[in-house]
Amino acid sequence: MISRLRYTLREMWASMSRNKTLTAATVITSTISLLLFGLTLLIQRGFDNQLKLWTGGVEMIVYVNHGAEANQVAFVQGALESQTSVIEGVTYCSEACATEVANTLFAGDQDSLQQLIPKIPSFFKVRPIDKDSGEVLRTLKSTFKDLPGVFDVRTPDQQVEVLSQLKSFFGVRTLLISGGLLAASALLIWNTIRTAMFARRREIEVMKLVGATNWFIRLPFMLEGLVQGIAGGFLGGIFMLLINRDWTNGVRAFPVSSGLEGFVVTDGYPYTVWLVMILVGAFVGAVGSGTAASRFLDV
Amino acid sequence: MIKLENVTKSYSAEVTALRDASFDVAKAEFVFLVGPSGSGKSTLLRMMNRQERPERGAVWVAGRNINEMPDSKVPHLRRNIGNIFQDYKLLTNKTVFENVAFALEVIGRPRHVIRQQVPAVLELVGLSGKQDRFPHQLSGGEQQRVSIARAFVNRPLILLADEPTGNLDPATGEGIMRLLDRINKTGTTVVMATHDQRIVNMMRKRVIQLDRGVIVRDQARGVYE
Repeated sequence: MISRLRYTLREMWASMSRNKTLTAATVITSTISLLLFGLTLLIQRGFDNQLKLWTGGVEMIVYVNHGAEANQVAFVQGALESQTSVIEGVTYCSEACATEVANTLFAGDQDSLQQLIPKIPSFFKVRPIDKDSGEVLRTLKSTFKDLPGVFDVRTPDQQVEVLSQLKSFFGVRTLLISGGLLAASALLIWNTIRTAMFARRREIEVMKLVGATNWFIRLPFMLEGLVQGIAGGFLGGIFMLLINRDWTNGVRAFPVSSGLEGFVVTDGYPYTVWLVMILVGAFVGAVGSGTAASRFLDV
Repeated sequence: MIKLENVTKSYSAEVTALRDASFDVAKAEFVFLVGPSGSGKSTLLRMMNRQERPERGAVWVAGRNINEMPDSKVPHLRRNIGNIFQDYKLLTNKTVFENVAFALEVIGRPRHVIRQQVPAVLELVGLSGKQDRFPHQLSGGEQQRVSIARAFVNRPLILLADEPTGNLDPATGEGIMRLLDRINKTGTTVVMATHDQRIVNMMRKRVIQLDRGVIVRDQARGVYE
């Protein structure tokens, strides 16, 4: 078992060393395609985060007049809760609650706080059923803005719509491009293995004549493709993390009013994507090399 | 050890390599296959290790009909058959030792077995001091000895030799034949395709003569005609 493993690893390394240029080309292509694949996942997550920031999970905020009577608040709440076909949930934040939120949001801005708190309105956070529809938000806004006791209705409808469209546009296209590049990687790996097998056809002929099994002959070639795919995923992941770090630093330098502060991925998600990239690379490498090794064994 | 029953093989409608060939080869027998180029000698050898399959008839090796053998079992069959070629088929990037060890390595023999068996077989073929040389540093006769060592290192039941002296001068060819005769005397069946008249006449072994795919003569202690 150990001798077989040693043989397989040695032959795999010998084959990769013999075809340095082709191996490098394959790894570079895999790296770029998997990098794009990983960035696609990050972009999608960035849009999700940005959408969450715009909405905070809430698509519409109905502000109630400062100092409104309890019956006015109850009236607005009743009106909102009656819209069960379009509204999923309603949460009330009293003036005390709103003051706490303001204290958090404007912790470093005492002037704004002092201006805001004396006339701070209570508000309802409204979660519509269809969160991504700007049209629904606009309809809700026009329905509630003229209700008695309502001070204002804010919806991020336009932003939500733009972000949703952008997410869809970039998501689909970058996924298609990365899918195409992944197919190109698989084909390049396939071709590399074919070339490697052709270069070693004499050895393979001897191996078959002395009684090596097909699996024994195939394994170093399949492992070669697998390693190329994994290397592509690993390197692509490193580049993805570097790009993500630079992007995050860049976005943090934007003014808060830019509205792009949510368009970053700062949790552990990039590392999960890195793992996914390595797994996808391994899969692409295994498929490319496996088919080539099976098809061209009779060299 | 080997039995062919009415074996026929065609490569195309016009080219029939073998026609209704039948013969037996006993254990430890030495058989020459003779005949002009294209008479079907190599095709016969290729059938004995399942590199080719007949269209009709059966090929039995060590009691098994190898045409009906599943593909997965063919490597195990070949571990009992050594092959020697006119062009040696040595791996030029490997040393003598590595070339011979390769045959054991690819069938999963452990390292300590390889370290034991390779020097022994190199001594048998007269290449003891040359195990670190590369094929291009050896003469034709020595390269053929490496090829024989590789074929015999696994102690196969059968050795198939396709024109092993074809590229060698007469004296070197005689040396190779003496080596094959020694191996045959250890109990290994040897089937050798050749059109080297001098060698066939010198060895006086069984001769099977082919002409355009047909066996025209099967003679014990025969000569080349």
